[in-house]
Amino acid sequence: MSKITRSFMFVLLALAFVLAACGGNSATPETIVQTQIVEKEVTAQPAMTEEPLPAGSVQINGAGATFPLPIYTEWTYAYSYVDPAVVINYQGIGSGGGKKAIIDGTVDFAGSDSLLKAEEYDAGKDLQMYPMVASAVVVIYNVAYENVPDGTTPAKLVLDRQTLVDIFNGKVNNWTDPAIVELNPDLKDFLPNATITVVHRSDGSGTTEIFTKSLTAFSSDWTAGGASSVEWPVDQAGNGVGGKGNQGVSAAVINTPNSLGYVEISFAKSNGLAFADLINKSGNKVTASAESIASDMATFGPEAFDDKLTATIVDGDGAGDYPIVGYTYLILHTESMTDCVKAGKLLEYVQWTLTDASAAKRAGDLGYAVLPGAVRDAVLAKLGEVTCNGEPVMK
Amino acid sequence: MTAHTTAHQTNFQKLIEKNHASVSLRRKVTNAVMLSVTGLMTILALIPLFWIIGYVVYKGGQYINLDFFIHTPRPLGMEGGGVLNAIQGTLIISGLASLIAIPPAILAAFYAANNPNTPLGVVLRFSTDVLSGIPSIVIGLFAYAIIVKPMGHYSGFAGAVAMAMLMLPTIIRTTEEMLKLVPHTLREASLGLGAPEWKTSISVVLPAALNGIMTGILLSVARAAGETAPLLFTALGNERYDLGLIIQSGIAQKQGFFEILKRVFDQPVDSLPLTLWKYAQQPYPERIEQSWAAALVLMIVILLINIFTRLWVESRKRRLQG
Repeated sequence: MSKITRSFMFVLLALAFVLAACGGNSATPETIVQTQIVEKEVTAQPAMTEEPLPAGSVQINGAGATFPLPIYTEWTYAYSYVDPAVVINYQGIGSGGGKKAIIDGTVDFAGSDSLLKAEEYDAGKDLQMYPMVASAVVVIYNVAYENVPDGTTPAKLVLDRQTLVDIFNGKVNNWTDPAIVELNPDLKDFLPNATITVVHRSDGSGTTEIFTKSLTAFSSDWTAGGASSVEWPVDQAGNGVGGKGNQGVSAAVINTPNSLGYVEISFAKSNGLAFADLINKSGNKVTASAESIASDMATFGPEAFDDKLTATIVDGDGAGDYPIVGYTYLILHTESMTDCVKAGKLLEYVQWTLTDASAAKRAGDLGYAVLPGAVRDAVLAKLGEVTCNGEPVMK
Repeated sequence: MTAHTTAHQTNFQKLIEKNHASVSLRRKVTNAVMLSVTGLMTILALIPLFWIIGYVVYKGGQYINLDFFIHTPRPLGMEGGGVLNAIQGTLIISGLASLIAIPPAILAAFYAANNPNTPLGVVLRFSTDVLSGIPSIVIGLFAYAIIVKPMGHYSGFAGAVAMAMLMLPTIIRTTEEMLKLVPHTLREASLGLGAPEWKTSISVVLPAALNGIMTGILLSVARAAGETAPLLFTALGNERYDLGLIIQSGIAQKQGFFEILKRVFDQPVDSLPLTLWKYAQQPYPERIEQSWAAALVLMIVILLINIFTRLWVESRKRRLQG
């Protein structure tokens, strides 16, 4: 008898511990966060007309690309104050994992930087991609400059499109190669006579897809194609190494003197990595930035999109275009959603991310470029075609 | 008589001294060398342990605070986020996994201990060995195929099933060993006094072996709580998971106990190792800091589970003895 009471008390103690942890949470954070959100100038207006659902009653799950993870996290967090009924969970498991999950139907939406292939559309039956934001892939480098006078910092590395292709083909494999020296007269005396170690992604990734599509557009010398994983010519040439994820590539470049690689711009910026300026198609030197990305997006405009709302927007010919730019997409089932309340809430959220001023500001603050007006209208129109049990979801 | 004895002893002592003189130096040196080598190796083996603990405490301690325990994560650039969701998730997954794994594991161990040489007993022992050798990521994929895909969504329940599969072999093997250590005479005495087999097992054998069994369970829970791989495809992760909110909204919707319970287990949840893993590969310094802090919290949670169970076992021992 006493044994039973004792074990009961043990269980009760554990429960009390858990509940105390929850109780402490439920009261305070809301007020704290709300003041913080006011500081961030958010115009959070509940867009509800009917009887509001209880807080936290609709759970929406998404998974996929890690590249938009920071902005998706921030959006879903802010949205919990726009519509407290909705809890949106997005997990960065990679573009490939996201596509698999939405095809299997184990998530409500997926994120992907890489485009669905024909067989993936077949397997998923009614999948549709919606561009959300765009960003750039930058070329990071770590050069052990020689004979640099004290107190001076060598200038930023500049590469043109052909040289970049030659480097990734293994044709230009030394930092003192005339092609590099010619582009960087200021660095002429400092560049080491050393082999260029080229770091690329070892895993399949949307970043690689954007980057290799750019190389394909830059020069016909690039024959490995544009896909989420390719056979790297530098590996055959002997000076290529792989790194897993943006993080792995960053780490490899940081730890390997005289190396060069490519990562999403946010990884380069937040890790303080130097990235090269590029000479674009119209012959201007451009730095990857919100402006040069937006310029490239504007060059292509809504005409670049096919009926699946996907577009390849690399190597724009505008004066200020940064050439290695890609959209990140949301993937939804357009006909087979059966929980219409959830589908409605999900589309309301997507609409909010595309139209709300505070959502756009958040994206801009994190370094993403939002959709140009015409593209956004096309996406919203496409969202209107989503049906649930045969009925249009958006009224 | 005395003289004879003394002479005998002297002879014996002489023999010993002779022996000493010839080999004692070699023995002493060997002894000293081997003792210092084993001592050195013990210290070497302990270095990684204390290094890890010290480094995690040092790195994680810098960023840990009360907010970390009582708040869910906040977006980048916002102060004061925590890992409450992951702490809750770790407790929920390990708790449910224990509920799933412990009863069948203990029953199976009883069978194997009582019938070691029957075909089923042999198969059981062989398959627990095989199961304990399967990489945890494979178990995660298996749980994805049999639970996540048919159910159509990731869930804490799927994570708990994967964890339970990881815990099974450890619990079965340790329980079986502990049951074997219970003296046969104890069992026979109980049976001889007329107690039926089931009563003997429950009230004589089980209590006698319980301390060891608890240790085995504890080891397996600690291992499960520290696993990332099986949760990647099952529990997925969920920064927005908040037990308090789920219960509140369930009550607000006038849902019954079981409906709320379903919502607790039937959606993606986070866990501390998963959070650690996710944060550590992000490029943002504050996420890296938080992942160190999450590592420290994970160590603290496992330590707490350990301490509570030890206390329980100790108090039980005292009760049995006193």
